[in-house]
Parts: sequence; C-alpha cells; structure tokens
Amino acid sequence: MEDVALFVPCLADQFLPEIGVSVVKIFRKLGVSFTYDKRQTCCGQPLVNAGDRKGARKVAKHFVSIFEGSEYIVAPSGSCIHTLKEHYPRLLADEPVWYQRACEVSEKAYELSQFLVSILGVGDVGARFEAKACLHESCAVLRQLGVSDEPKTLLKNVGGLDLVPLNDADVCCGFGGEFSVDYSNISEAIVKDKVNNFKASGADILILGEPGCLLNIRGYMSYNGVGGQVRHIAEILAGE
Amino acid sequence: MRPQSENFKELARKNLANEGQRKILNQFSLILKALRDASFTTLPDEKAALEKGRRIREDAIKNLPYLLEMFEENATKAGAKVVWASDARQANDFIVSLAKEKGANLCVKAKSMISEEISLREEFIENKIETYETDLGEFIVQQAGKTPFHIVGPAINMTIKEVSDLFNKVIGLPETEDPTELAKGARMFLRDKFRNAQIGISGANMAVAETGSIILVENEGNIRFATSAPKTHVVLMSIEKVVPTISEAAYMLKLLTRSCTGQRISNYVSVITGPKKAGEIDGPEELYIVILDNGRTKIYADEVLRSALQCIKCGMCAAVCPVYTHVGGYSYGWVYSGPIGAVLNPLLLGLDKARDLYHATTLCGACKDYCPAGVDVRNIVLDLRAKEMDGDRSFDAEAPPALVKIFYRIWAWVLLDYSRYKIASRIMRIVMPFVIKYGKASNLSDRLIQWTRCRDIPQVAPKSFHETYSELKK
Repeated sequence: MEDVALFVPCLADQFLPEIGVSVVKIFRKLGVSFTYDKRQTCCGQPLVNAGDRKGARKVAKHFVSIFEGSEYIVAPSGSCIHTLKEHYPRLLADEPVWYQRACEVSEKAYELSQFLVSILGVGDVGARFEAKACLHESCAVLRQLGVSDEPKTLLKNVGGLDLVPLNDADVCCGFGGEFSVDYSNISEAIVKDKVNNFKASGADILILGEPGCLLNIRGYMSYNGVGGQVRHIAEILAGE
Repeated sequence: MRPQSENFKELARKNLANEGQRKILNQFSLILKALRDASFTTLPDEKAALEKGRRIREDAIKNLPYLLEMFEENATKAGAKVVWASDARQANDFIVSLAKEKGANLCVKAKSMISEEISLREEFIENKIETYETDLGEFIVQQAGKTPFHIVGPAINMTIKEVSDLFNKVIGLPETEDPTELAKGARMFLRDKFRNAQIGISGANMAVAETGSIILVENEGNIRFATSAPKTHVVLMSIEKVVPTISEAAYMLKLLTRSCTGQRISNYVSVITGPKKAGEIDGPEELYIVILDNGRTKIYADEVLRSALQCIKCGMCAAVCPVYTHVGGYSYGWVYSGPIGAVLNPLLLGLDKARDLYHATTLCGACKDYCPAGVDVRNIVLDLRAKEMDGDRSFDAEAPPALVKIFYRIWAWVLLDYSRYKIASRIMRIVMPFVIKYGKASNLSDRLIQWTRCRDIPQVAPKSFHETYSELKK
C-alpha cells in the first residue's frame, strides 16, 4: 500500500524491542508495505542534546543516506522524528547538497500515530485491549511535533479500552535524556508528580508514545513499588 | 545582585527540600496558567496572537540598531536626555553622580530587573542615598534582605505570616494576616517617600521608536507615583526593549499583561513621552533615559542567541517550566529565573559561571509554547551546549574534559555503522550489570548510579529488535 521505511529508535531497539514488534504487527494488519533497513542505528539525538554537533552531523548523514530512498519514514517516537525534522536541516545548513537531502528526509518523517491517522487516514486500527488507561502526552510528540489528536483518536477506537483523563497530561515527565542522570533529584521530583497524577487517575495503564518517557516513568514506578503498567501506544494498538 | 549561578546544584537541592515553597510554586503555577488561558480566550485566535507577538519581537530585534537610533532621536526631540551605558559600572556611575548633582538623599524606585542586574539600589545606598523599592513585592524583598524569586512576582514564595512579621519588625505595623491591611501599611509607609524623594527610578516595559516614548505597565500605581512626583525621573532600560511603533507596542501590551498576570490590561499603563511640558501640572522636570548594553550587543550579534533578546519579561515561561516549578527562583542564582534565566544568566555572566543552568532542562519546550515573544529557549540551550562542547570562548564556555569529548567521539563512531553498534550493544549487555554493581570510579558509572537513585535500571532486552526482526519476517 505505501512504501514505508520503519525506523526503530535505539532505546526501543535495545531496551524495548516489543515496541518495534508491535509496529510490525500493526503495519501487517493494515497491509502497509514497509521495509526495515538493517543498517540503521540511531538518529543522533543524544549527540545533538549533548552539543556534539560534529558527531551529530556524521550520524545525520548516515541516517539520511539510509532512509532517503523511501516515500515515508515512520518511527514509534516523537523525539527522534523531531530530531530529523528540526535538527538535521540545521546541522547540515552549511553543506547545500546535504542540506537539501536532509530537508527531503525531514519532510517525509512521521511519528507512528501521526502517520496512521494523517497519512493512512486510519483512525481505527481494529485493536482490542481490555484495560482502564490514560494517556501521557510526551513533550516531543505534543509540543515539538504538535501531535495530540491522533493518538487520542486511535486510542478511543481501541475495543475494550476505557480511556480516563490524566491530570497534567501535557506536563513533562522529567526525563530529558542526560538531564535525568545529571540532575536526578530534580528529575525524580518531576516524575514523582507524573506518577502521582497517574495513580490519582484510577487507570491501570499509562500509555505514551515516547520510549524515553517510558523508561523513566516505568523505572521510577518499579523502583518505588508503584502498581500499574506503562506501555507504548504501539503495544496497545497491536492488541488483539 | 551577586551572581551565585555556579551553585545551581546546591541551591536546587536546598530548594527542592523546601516543602512549603513547593506547595506555593504549585499553586502559583496552577492559578497563573488558568488566569492566563482564560485571558487569551478573549483574543480571536491564541496561536495567531502568539505568532504575531513573535514576529513583532523578532523584527524589532533584527532592526535593533536602527530602532535604537530612531528612539534616541525622538526621545530627545520630546525633551528627554538619552544616555548610553555599555556596562553596569557606566550606568551606575552616571545615575549615582546625577543623583548627587541633584542633591538627592531620597530615591523611590519602581520595579526594574535591569536595576537588579546592575545592583543600582545597593550603589545608591552605599552612596548614602536612602532608596526604597515601591512595588509591594519588591518592597517586601528589599526589607527582608532577599532577592526576587520570580521576575514578575518577586515575593510569591513568602507567606502572609512572614510578611506580617517582617512589616511588624521593619515598619512597625501591628501584626495582621489581612493582606489588604499589609498592603495598606506599606502604602502608608511609602507615601512620604514618594512625596519627598528628589529622584525616581524606573525600568521600561517597552520603548517606542517612532515616538520616543517609554511604556510602563503596573497594577499598584507606584510606578506612576515614582515617575511623576520626584523632580527627576531616570529610566533604566536595556537595549532590547525597543519596538518600532505605538501600534506594535499596543499589541505587545495585550500579550504582556495576559501572559504576566492573566489580565486583559493592567490597572495602570503609563506612556511617558519626555518630561513635564510647559503648562502641565504633573510629571518630572527632567527625564533621563539610560540605555544599557551590559553584554547584549554580543548576544545580538549571534543569529541564534539573539532570540533571547525578544523576551518581554512576562515570566510565563517560569510558571509552565517543570524545573522552575520544582526548584523555584532562587536556584538560578541571579536576577533572571525560569527558562529565560537558564539562557540569559549564562549569556550575561559567562557560560562557565552558569553552566548548570543550560544543562538543567528537560528540553520539554513548554516555555516556547507559551512565550508571547517567540523566544526559542530550547534551541538556545542546545546552542550553548554546542558552544561548550566546541570550547567556543565567545561566551566564556569552558570546554568539557578530554575524556568526555572522546566518549562522544566514540559514540558517534559507533553509530555510523551497524556492526560497530551491534558490538557496542553486546559489550553493554556484558558490562552494564558489573558497572552498576561495582563501579563508582568513573564518571560514566556515577551517572548510571544517579539514574538508579530513584529508578530501576531498564533491563537490556535479551534480543534487540534488530535481531528479533529476522524471526518476525518468517
């Protein structure tokens, strides 16, 4: 149906492969023709955030040359897509040919829910998932990509899923990559608020679209013995 | 105000532990956001309004040299005396010697962050000129010997009880927990100061190039009093305050008051064009406008960083910042706090003196979404980090240790080829459990331990997606 290149972010690849597996399930169910290029590694976001532009530039070129051939690039992460869209053109601004290639890549990059709803026009993926859940609107998805209605539409149409509101759903979970280790006490205070809001929501599952937030919130909950699950939206949408 | 931004970590730790303050910060953020959101519903389209604000400020900063000259010309025509100060010393020296020349021994001050930046009040007091902050929040802060906690609400962190005790001690007000009575007490105390002061000092919310006017926004009336009762009015403004026309100023005013306090308009808006003219009853006989650079020209010269100068000091970014609403204003260690402080303090003090500020951010970008002037804090932060990594000395960045640079160089090298990435992930699987268990020696393992202080370390999957994918294919 479409020529889609699947990009599985490094965090998901290494720690949360089930997210990638879920995306594959969704694509197969919807009949999306996709490829997974085995040369892929990481978009270079950690390097951008650390200020290592030299390194990030090289990684960006590697990424662009792998992905530029396909019609769409889809990833189950907002922040990686944002890296492609916002930072690649900036990083490569001084190299006209690369800049052009980066812009072309950035124009066809989509976060998963955005791709399903806006490009495929699918609001209902025919999934079933029995649970009471709420949605954390990850900053990269909500603010950097402006994607908010799409995941809500998809989740509303999941059979058996009771979606309840989450207080301060649009407030950061305190991850921030290196922030979470360099300022772990501040990060802890922020994620604690997020988890308290989750507890107060009465939901059993916290759904989100960003592997980084997932590791942060899940790590905090299991360390502190808080009940409930944190799941990536792809896992819910792959539910049968 | 003596900078302490180098101590961010320590200050943040202390402030995080202050439960009472955390509660106030929560309330403050909640109420302000609600008021702000409600006030924006009275504009036809919030997004379009913010976009217009961004454009006005971006254009103004782009044309800064031209607009400043136009402002000087028109302000001078209106009878004001314009003085340029390249740094804090020059500004303080000029204003202090002017005050002495006028024989001033009493000065009333309106709220001005720039005056905090150059420690003008302290200079006055050192020179035996009795000086009073007249904004209620600033008055409290001054009497308590503290520094502003927030750019707009300098004393929002203090409880009524604390203010009551303070006023009882310093101005002899009978103890009361009625805020109206407390405000009245401060007003009565300040009334004579206004009347007898020979000099009044204010900041400027905006300076209008086409008319040479200064615009001052307030709710208490103290600014109008302080700028009209004394014979000499000194405006202290920084170079980025200028906007081209009155109509653009009026538009920014709509956004400023909404973002500041959730008001459609503040109780007072003063547009001051020159001193008192012949036949006028109120107003100062002389108006001086001191235009301060203090490092801003250098910021202006950088196309990415100059976005920081678009800021109109509404303070909204702080209210929506997950870091500020936890660590509070004092943690930033200097005049400016919250997201804008996280970039302005390093830019004005030197990156090496405020390194933590542009690292202690989750990069969530809420500040940008709420900013009525289009300041892109997120991108400035990333730019400052890149300057640091490159050891770029233009803003006194201190390059990271060689080991850190090597670490990132290896990381980038690994990401350039899947087979290296695969080997690295294998090594990670073997080494990580040991690092967590035994290693405290290296910087790297210390960082891992920081994560595990409050979170379980994520388990590396037995098989990466990459490896799983081959099986899925079948």
